[in-house]
Amino acid sequence: MRYRWLALFPLLFAAVFAAIAWQLADGGGLDPFIHWQRLLVRVLAITGCFAAFSAFASGDHLRRAWFWLGVATVLVLVRDVIRMVAASGDAAPIDWTVSALGVLSNVALLAGVWMLARAWKVAAISLPGGETGVGVVTVLAALLALAVAGPGALKHFQSVVAGDWSALILLVSAVVDILSLCLLAPLLLTTISLRGGLFAWPWGLVTASMLCWLLYDAAAAFGGALAGGFPLTALFRGLAENFLFAAGMAQSFAVRSVREA
Amino acid sequence: MSGQTARRSGGAQTAPPSISEQVVERLAPYLGEFNAQVWVKVVAQRNLGLEPEDLSVADLEPLMEGLRPSLNTFMGRSAADGLLKKVSREVR
Repeated sequence: MRYRWLALFPLLFAAVFAAIAWQLADGGGLDPFIHWQRLLVRVLAITGCFAAFSAFASGDHLRRAWFWLGVATVLVLVRDVIRMVAASGDAAPIDWTVSALGVLSNVALLAGVWMLARAWKVAAISLPGGETGVGVVTVLAALLALAVAGPGALKHFQSVVAGDWSALILLVSAVVDILSLCLLAPLLLTTISLRGGLFAWPWGLVTASMLCWLLYDAAAAFGGALAGGFPLTALFRGLAENFLFAAGMAQSFAVRSVREA
Repeated sequence: MSGQTARRSGGAQTAPPSISEQVVERLAPYLGEFNAQVWVKVVAQRNLGLEPEDLSVADLEPLMEGLRPSLNTFMGRSAADGLLKKVSREVR
């Protein structure tokens, strides 16, 4: 039952967020609300990642994966805090710090997702559909990722080529997004192979998190907000971080339940 | 004689589950039915050169050792070790 509640939590959180955001969209309270909500979901995601990390022993493959996912979220949280604190300060050095944290966070996220995605290889198991199935789903995921994040990556690449180095962080982010989203395929297939088992929960919830990042990218590509000022990107960011929180907690519960069995 | 053969050749109601069926039954709550069946089948064929239904109690230890790397990856060494010991204790 607690796994179902973990899976429901991001959706309930999103519903509450949406209700409050609609109320605040006309007034001036929306920005502070989004800032604080962003910090909250980052902290929750960090809690989930390190709960999962602590469930494994030193040397376990998935311990490293959860460690890097946690590090990625810590770095992005530090970036958010610096942005908030330095909103009225000297922008130039802060911009570089924020950019560096953004790049490092993206690289750490990619490392974590990569380790999760290749768990089936490390375990020397077959996924549904075999190598062909993995290849087909990976190509489909790659096409989807390119459709969503490709135009942005191309635009940022052109800016960098034209000498605008401030676009470098955006280019790196877009490339990492594309690579991470390609890894949706093995995550999804691993979830399908584990269906009906306790360990399907963390994998399914991580996959849901990555899907929400895909929706976040799609929303950002279309301007980030609906008519009326509803913050669509913030909604999908919250969902992605909360699904990561739920996945980490589910991973921790699943490992501990085997130990206690 | 395998469990399946025993069931086919009479006494269908009382034949005990085969070794592989017992192992799958104990792994499935964690890994899902699909993975539990595939992992047991792959290890039986690759490590022991046997079909799952031909496994005997004597094959349990190498079967558990063959399953260990995959279980280590998904649930960590400590949990995997506990689960394998539990399965070895319970399967007869």
